[in-house]
Amino acid sequence: MDLTLSSDQEMLVDSARRFLTRSWPAEAVRAAETSADGHDPKAWSEAAGLGWPGLCLPAEHGGSGAGMVELALLAEELGRAAFSSPLLAQTTLVALPLAWEGNAAQRTRWLPALAGGELIGSAALVAPGARDERSSPPLEGRRSGDGWVLSGSRVLVPFAAVSSLLVVLADLEGAGVSMLVVEAERIAALSRQQALGGDPMYAVSFHGTVVGTGDVIGRPGSGAALFARALDHATVASVSYGVGLGERALELSVSHACDRHQFGRPIGSFQAVAHRCVDMRADLDAARWLARQAAWALDKAGASGESAAPAGAPAAVAGASGESAAPAGALEVAAAKAYANDALRRVFLNAHQVHGAIGFSLEHDLQLFTRRAKAFELSLGDTVQHRRRVAEAMGLGRSR
Amino acid sequence: MDFELTEEERRFREDLQRLLAQELPEWWRGMFVEDERVMPFTKRFCSELAERGWLTMAWPPEHGGQGASVWQQAVLREEMWAADEPRGPQYMNLNYIGPLIMRFGTDAQKSRFLPPMARGEVIWCQGFSEPEAGSDLASLRTRAVADGDRFVINGQKVWTSYADSPAEWCLLLARSDPEAEKHRGISVFLLDMATPGVTVRPIATMAGPHEFNEVFLDDVVVGRDCLLGELHRGWDVVVTGLTFERVGIARYARAGRVIEMLVEHVRRTGRDSEPEVMDKLADLRVRYEAARLLNYVAISIQARGEVPTTEASVARIHNTQLEQLVGHVGLELLGAAGQLTHDDPASPLGGEIWRQWVRNIPTTVAAGTLEIQKNIVARALGLPRPA
Repeated sequence: MDLTLSSDQEMLVDSARRFLTRSWPAEAVRAAETSADGHDPKAWSEAAGLGWPGLCLPAEHGGSGAGMVELALLAEELGRAAFSSPLLAQTTLVALPLAWEGNAAQRTRWLPALAGGELIGSAALVAPGARDERSSPPLEGRRSGDGWVLSGSRVLVPFAAVSSLLVVLADLEGAGVSMLVVEAERIAALSRQQALGGDPMYAVSFHGTVVGTGDVIGRPGSGAALFARALDHATVASVSYGVGLGERALELSVSHACDRHQFGRPIGSFQAVAHRCVDMRADLDAARWLARQAAWALDKAGASGESAAPAGAPAAVAGASGESAAPAGALEVAAAKAYANDALRRVFLNAHQVHGAIGFSLEHDLQLFTRRAKAFELSLGDTVQHRRRVAEAMGLGRSR
Repeated sequence: MDFELTEEERRFREDLQRLLAQELPEWWRGMFVEDERVMPFTKRFCSELAERGWLTMAWPPEHGGQGASVWQQAVLREEMWAADEPRGPQYMNLNYIGPLIMRFGTDAQKSRFLPPMARGEVIWCQGFSEPEAGSDLASLRTRAVADGDRFVINGQKVWTSYADSPAEWCLLLARSDPEAEKHRGISVFLLDMATPGVTVRPIATMAGPHEFNEVFLDDVVVGRDCLLGELHRGWDVVVTGLTFERVGIARYARAGRVIEMLVEHVRRTGRDSEPEVMDKLADLRVRYEAARLLNYVAISIQARGEVPTTEASVARIHNTQLEQLVGHVGLELLGAAGQLTHDDPASPLGGEIWRQWVRNIPTTVAAGTLEIQKNIVARALGLPRPA
């Protein structure tokens, strides 16, 4: 047990913070938000130069071979800067599934380009009207010759307009639920959505998109488990990003509480204000370490060759008392997201309360983080759902 | 970054669990019960641990320890607190009174006080709080007046845990220089509780006996050889000691044990698939994970030889509130029958949940209130001092 950063991890964090402070000030966040596609190609290519898109990918495909712990540490820094990029979704929902289960042709074709940042990948996972990614019914795939014709559409697809490939989940007639990688040219239509979080979001129609076995990642019909594993990775990365958002909100709050004077004193000298900042610190530290623990658990499960989400393992097989029925890392991931959803809500309530009226103005930076934190909470599973997963991993919910 | 105990540490946990299964009597329900068997049992248990080398395993070898890793010590604390602390009051010796003597004591003090602690033979208490000095501990008024080679002490301590256990020794704070700035005029004394002029008066509490006492000091004479650390510089000792104390108790481990009991209980009573029950227990489990990790963060810093002041306070903020919440939610899950105390044979889970609730009412007050912990963190955040 050692909950400190190695010197390599410290270096990663330091260099990320230096780069983001220099190259990604709040003006850049605002510029990206008002640009046509919400994407800053210059910042993206600089990030690629630092090796970020390939951070967790295997070295043989142009990556650095680091793990989720490193991605989580990087994600905290990205959140702290409100860095807008496809990086986290691309890594966890596109590149890692390809690295885990993609065939040789897919890996060769996509991974080096994704790792180098030359190609952008995203994932189209939320069905219109669905509660979230996990509860979305897959797209439909009807048999047609050697392949399938897809129908259905997805919403809240980040960076779809600049993505060369999209990962989707589809129920393929005769094969079952499968994870597919689809090139952008084959998408029927996409349209920009107005979302609160700052990342450019799109509605994407897959009606008539033709796919074949060569587009399936892994074995056809094995998509549910692969998808669950990828989602767990995406969830952890997003929690770390969320912690970073909160971290900046805390920095802004402390600095405001020191500078702002009322009654002849800095407002931070009032305990009512100071303790709100401390509550933010305590919430963020807990969320941070829950996320890091989850990242570590996923790395460990990956290294031992154990799938983080064994297909359809019935909960009952673990017996009455064990927690072992849960996929490796499931409890840790769900705990992190469940805690962080609530914690970030509290953190941003506190941040706005400490800031007073100025925090509500668009000229102040706080709102950049507030909006992203709410988008974080509403993505990848709500609190109730993740607490349910924790409960199931604890062995509850079996007597129905 | 590594979130896993070593194989050796895991085996040590199993050894401890075996020992506890063997040694804990069926009637054991922690220290705060009206039962004459309790304190003698805790001493026997400490001697048992000492014989196996586990009592002071994290102490350096020259003081009767094995220099075991802080993580082995953490495992020990977890198993002990989860089992209602069968070491009794002596956990304080091991966690911080002993280490403070190692850090601030003279050679003579070390060889006099540490070996009995290492053998598990001596109960210490801590004379800090006073009727007019709680959160503002540095305003304490108990006076120590130098008189040649000795000090004469007068004053009163309160909320002194275990003084009536009875404690043989007390780590006592007294004001030695009334003229100095309040943090600069305090000294720490190692007081023999059998000294004439020491009177202990138990305070009945909601949780039962032994929890709190008043200690009256009337012309108590202490030799200079029982001054710990430099004269008037006792505040440095206090600050170090409180930091040790804040992570010295594995509160999350008891919370985790109670959560397990509750999971078992809802299974037995067929409520384990009610969505609200699942949600509440999962929330406790998530908070348990957080509290445990934050303690581990503080311990990781200790393992590097540094003092985790802020981290210890953040960990304590989470741990104390977790212990309270587990009691509240636990009783809620028991429903109306949760009103039955451990003295009632029909009390669900033998009254364990009632005890969890009642014992932890003062948890956010002891060893620095929640507000004081938050003040410590506020300073670390760089916020200005209150006016």
